[in-house]
Amino acid sequence: MRMKKAGCFIVFLALIMAVTAGSGRAWAYFTTYASAEGGITIALGDRTEIEEEFSNWEKRVTITSDPDSEPVYIRAKAFGSGSYPLTCGGEGWSDGGDGYYYYDKILSGGEETSVLSVKIGNVPENDVEDGTMFNVVVIYESAPVEYRDDKTPYADWDAVLDNGISQSGGGNKEEE
Amino acid sequence: MAGRIRKLITSPAGTLGAFALAAGLLASSSIGGARAALTYYSETYTSRVQMYDIGVTLLENGQEVSWRNYDSKRDNGSWQEEKGALLEDMVPEGDSLRIGVWYPEELKVQNSGTINQYVRVSLYKYWLNGEGQKEQTLTPDLIDLELKTDNGWMIDEESSTEERTILYYSRVLQSGETSPAFSGRLRIDESVAKKVTQTTEETANGMKIITSYDYDGVKFCVEATVDAVQEHNAQDAIWSAWGRRVTVDNGMLSL
Repeated sequence: MRMKKAGCFIVFLALIMAVTAGSGRAWAYFTTYASAEGGITIALGDRTEIEEEFSNWEKRVTITSDPDSEPVYIRAKAFGSGSYPLTCGGEGWSDGGDGYYYYDKILSGGEETSVLSVKIGNVPENDVEDGTMFNVVVIYESAPVEYRDDKTPYADWDAVLDNGISQSGGGNKEEE
Repeated sequence: MAGRIRKLITSPAGTLGAFALAAGLLASSSIGGARAALTYYSETYTSRVQMYDIGVTLLENGQEVSWRNYDSKRDNGSWQEEKGALLEDMVPEGDSLRIGVWYPEELKVQNSGTINQYVRVSLYKYWLNGEGQKEQTLTPDLIDLELKTDNGWMIDEESSTEERTILYYSRVLQSGETSPAFSGRLRIDESVAKKVTQTTEETANGMKIITSYDYDGVKFCVEATVDAVQEHNAQDAIWSAWGRRVTVDNGMLSL
């Protein structure tokens, strides 16, 4: 009787082994994989500074970009007393017809613009007394270079910055 | 009658007879083999042993970037693998990344094994901060990787998230075959340059507003993983290996 039980157990064990051996083969699928990753750091923001010299009723303005600044476009505008008309111009600067003079090149990090000349006209030199205040203000703006689908660069002077709360005008503006 | 047979088998004479029969059979089979060796010369023939080596390669703009191929002939079977980097040649040397500009980023899969296979791709897009940690506050949507799904690739919408996209190639990729591209080009959305955080502080001259760009100094990352599984019994193999129920009908995989 005991021998019979042992025989049954051996047969059962053999069956289990046969079944599990079969299922093991069924799960052994051929698989493989390959992966790769990569990335690039974004550099945004610019810092520019204006320098000016004044002599002979002429302001000579240049704008310099910091070495680690992203490429920008520059435009500038001069204000003065209505009695003394201002004449602006310079190599690489062109009148936009909206009061601004536009620097026609992209200003990359570490570069400076050519001179924008602001001449003050109609100055009655003989009547000017010592201590008389005379203000000519030059403001300038920078805008990051953007690109169209065909990779043509452009400046979006009306860009609106998104601060998550409200919206404000884009570009950097400084006065001198 | 049965009783007589049983008696014959169990008798010493029966056992002796069976032994003699077995010895005779064994001897005659050896002689047969020896005769066959003497009288038969086989023709020269060649045989081809099919090795079941699976392998897959990821290609970027036509260049092999990463692969993992099984080679059963080398070292009694070993994996040959290489893990390269994406986007290394995206920006020309001396130039910097231009926001909003499309750059070619054509990703394909090649079956570099000896058996046919089905493949899928897991694509990840994310931002890393200066410390190399994932920046969860910045959206992966602004990493604009153009996917192609009109050429046999299909997106598994159920398994995809904002950061991850899973694509399946619906056809069998034959040994040595390269799939159509599942991506074509990549750009960083121009709105990245307009996302700012502004803080205000009181100064002696009044209120000062400090504007900083949210995406300045962060790194955008793209990661691609290709999975391949054997063509044979693909439906069960995919369920077992990838945990995804698919249907394979007439060689076409559908989700």
